[in-house]
Amino acid sequence: MEDKLQELVVELLGDGAMEYFIGYRQGFEPSHVVPCFVTDKSEADRLIWGPLCLQNLSKYVLQARDLDGKVGLLVKGCDARAIVELVKQHQIERDKIVVVGVPCEGQVDPRKMEQVLGVSMEQVTDVEDAGDEFLVKVGGEVSKLGKEQVLRDKCFYCKHPTSFDYDYTLGEVQPFTIDSESEEYDAVEKLEELPLEERRAYWLKQFERCIRCNACREVCYGCYCKECIFDRTDPRWLDRTPLPRENEIYHLIRAVHLAGRCIDCGECERVCPVNIPLGRLYKKLQKDIAELFDYEAGMEYDTVPPLVDFELDDQDPFL
Amino acid sequence: MASESSDEGGNGYEPKILVFACNWCSYAGADLAGVSRLQMPANCRIIRVMCSGRVRPEFVVTALSKGLDGVLVLGCHPGECHYSEGNYFTRRRGLLLKNLLQFVGIEPERFQVRWVSASEGAKFADTVEQVTEQIRALGPNRPQGGMHSTEPGDR
Repeated sequence: MEDKLQELVVELLGDGAMEYFIGYRQGFEPSHVVPCFVTDKSEADRLIWGPLCLQNLSKYVLQARDLDGKVGLLVKGCDARAIVELVKQHQIERDKIVVVGVPCEGQVDPRKMEQVLGVSMEQVTDVEDAGDEFLVKVGGEVSKLGKEQVLRDKCFYCKHPTSFDYDYTLGEVQPFTIDSESEEYDAVEKLEELPLEERRAYWLKQFERCIRCNACREVCYGCYCKECIFDRTDPRWLDRTPLPRENEIYHLIRAVHLAGRCIDCGECERVCPVNIPLGRLYKKLQKDIAELFDYEAGMEYDTVPPLVDFELDDQDPFL
Repeated sequence: MASESSDEGGNGYEPKILVFACNWCSYAGADLAGVSRLQMPANCRIIRVMCSGRVRPEFVVTALSKGLDGVLVLGCHPGECHYSEGNYFTRRRGLLLKNLLQFVGIEPERFQVRWVSASEGAKFADTVEQVTEQIRALGPNRPQGGMHSTEPGDR
């Protein structure tokens, strides 16, 4: 698949069909994949694809706003929803980007893998997709890991392995089976069942750890505001010093700002240095929006987002 | 935040409630309640907004997180908005926000939305009384201490 990808990129760059291409390349460590910007044909051979290509590259297309030409990028099915949303939110024009879809068969969660293997990711030299399992190479030895052990949470209920809006695709997705009964909203429902005080304690404990590095905001495709509310000086919403007691405000405001826009790409949770389960917070809003307003973000270009729309007979519990 | 002291209820606790009232209906309703000399608890601080749709969820989240005991958003009845449709957006937003706040463990009574028209002075007084009693029964939002302490000099 990598050959096919590299050929395609060489071709597109040669044509002048795009100015540069955004994909993945090997990072410093073998198990570490980083985004890669290919501006010249000769660099195309750096591009790779595999179960460790975790990043959602969609946010980078915003740079193409000021570009005369087009920019190409590689997307997984889940990330393609970010493209739909960016177009919908008028951040980028669809014809400014060349979308190359890749058949994704599940991504590895490095934290889960470290736990299962008992070694740090630095020692993992290769991870290969083999249908229902991953072939993991550690120190020259290959071991097989069932996908259900190490898949990213979002991959368990992946509804969109191939997105619907490609300019080019790199092949058909092979369906894989996972031995798991986890449902999309399991984690959220588990929390919903807890008594109120326990939920309070749970979230306070999570928010307490936050060091307000803003990584979740920086990585989020939906956080493209030129001036973020948290950076505003007048009115100042949050203290200049990251006070722990304002962490809750930070996370709740982020959650409401992403209501109806979050596509559950899971990037916030992945980049969080203190492992706050942010996905659960956003997932809750997603669940409510699906139940109350029958809407899912990133699926269609022509549906109206739920919070800029209303129905006369919406549920009204407010008397 | 300085705490109010009063001997009512015996424990000296008086909740502090933030009310967002829409200019065209609820604020006029509040005015009517006042002019009609209706009795109601004095725990509310009213902020007049041009429409209940102006109340961004951030306002509510920040108020509750910074220690207010409750937030009440008042708007025109659905279908009677001065701007035709502002309160329909409030309705959707309020529903989601209420669920979210509950999800992170904030009592649902602490954030309420009600529809009060300009002629409903009595409903305004009733609502304020009801909400105040509910919140009084819950007790202070975030007891002092921990990450939510509001000691002098914190801010």
